[in-house]
Amino acid sequence: MESIEAQQAAGGLAGLFSLHRAELRRFLNARCGNADEAEDLLQDLWIKASAQPSGPIANGRAYLFRMASNLVLDARRAHQRAMVRDREWSDVDGDGSALPEDRPDPTLPADEALAQAQEARLVRQAIATLPPGAQRALRLHRIDGLPQAQVAEIMGISRSGVEKHLAVAMKHLRNALLDCGLIGPATSKGQKPSRGGEPRQEQRP
Amino acid sequence: MSRDEDTIIAEAAAWHAASLHDDMDWDGFTLWLEADPRHNAVYEELALADAVLAEHRDTLRAAPDAATEAANDSEDSTVVRPIFGRWQRWAGAAIAASLVAVLAIPQFLTSSQAYHTGAASQTIALADGSQVILAPRSSLTIEGRGQDHMMLEGGAWFDIRHNPSRTLQIDAGGVTVGDIGTTFDIQASGGQTRIEVGTGQVFVTGQALSAPIKLAQGRVLVFDGKAGTALVAPVATDAIGEWRSGRLSFDSAPLALVAADLSRYAGVQVTVPAALGERQFSGTLVIGNGEAALRDLSQLMDLELGRGAGGYRLGARR
Repeated sequence: MESIEAQQAAGGLAGLFSLHRAELRRFLNARCGNADEAEDLLQDLWIKASAQPSGPIANGRAYLFRMASNLVLDARRAHQRAMVRDREWSDVDGDGSALPEDRPDPTLPADEALAQAQEARLVRQAIATLPPGAQRALRLHRIDGLPQAQVAEIMGISRSGVEKHLAVAMKHLRNALLDCGLIGPATSKGQKPSRGGEPRQEQRP
Repeated sequence: MSRDEDTIIAEAAAWHAASLHDDMDWDGFTLWLEADPRHNAVYEELALADAVLAEHRDTLRAAPDAATEAANDSEDSTVVRPIFGRWQRWAGAAIAASLVAVLAIPQFLTSSQAYHTGAASQTIALADGSQVILAPRSSLTIEGRGQDHMMLEGGAWFDIRHNPSRTLQIDAGGVTVGDIGTTFDIQASGGQTRIEVGTGQVFVTGQALSAPIKLAQGRVLVFDGKAGTALVAPVATDAIGEWRSGRLSFDSAPLALVAADLSRYAGVQVTVPAALGERQFSGTLVIGNGEAALRDLSQLMDLELGRGAGGYRLGARR
């Protein structure tokens, strides 16, 4: 927005990227637990940063870290989706060996929408079973998008009280989504899929 | 001392919450991730859970629609295809969940989405693709099934998608603005409401108005609740919502309104004695630096700028 303090770094994001490459690599390494994947994502980040129009950006370094963080998360999310879908296929195939073209209908946009609706319902259900305080804090902060300070004001509790509620909410949500398979347990080191090596190309990225 | 999972989850949740803010300590976070491989695993699960939540945010936000959804549930469940074997088992649970949602509805109906801004403006995307940019130091409450009833205190720019089947109603400072799809800017504070229409037209109603006012493109309505006056005047359409690009233009605007605008958009508190409140100002102020904008204003109006309690005050030159 216009209200952000304009801070034009020489060379824009790409320049900042070069300046902070080592720290960004270290962060990606810690986040991916896999040096190859980290290097791939660092490359992606460089491409994205270079493609950004050199406009004013408040705190470019934090911006780059957030971009890096989102790249990891996007990759994981895509992987998770593929896993969920794979499991659905396996349930039908029995052993999961059937080729895509042998499956009843490999592209089912209607079912895709249905799956989305069902996913939304599962999330809603997970939220509905949260303890009242945690539920309210989560709704205000993560769904309505209010800053934590404001959530504290509305709920009449301290800021750290809000943080505790949110931690409880996120913990429950994580457990609930793990239970119903919407997210898989984080894979341990070295088991991450290598990027581009997804065998099922028909799956949504 | 072995750190138990709850501690790690609490830390991971705190890092995750912090990562959404500009002041995130990314170096500290990297060190925390490196300290224990379980840290990253738990953080990732939390972040993924949050990503799922974020993906469905709009659906979740439209809580009042839960009733509609519940009504459709049985229908949905019957068309679940066999390949969704796993989902089908969940369909039962989903129906149960919807029943919970139905029971919880009175709470949903009374609840509404509220937005409050501090020093920065906030862009609010509505479900139908419309957009509201809430000015600094303002609040907006959105209610109604189709997000069609809003209450504004402060300023906001509205870009509403054309949809003749619904009328958006915005209560602001004693009047109600009705709209089916236009761009307009509202500023309501200190008993005065100003509505400027960029494209299309809006209808303004209110108890103090004898008849609805049709306000067309390029027109501004200044409503004064206390004085009971409503003035319609032309306004340059390119000056509407100018605060979004760091400028404020006025054409014969009462000084009280200019002061209120500067307080809101430029973040400087300024008071104007009642005797000067009706003096009119025409001109453009750059609001990047509130103090400089005030100095410009005082010079253009030949007023004296002084320090008052908790801010500045404009007074007649002695």
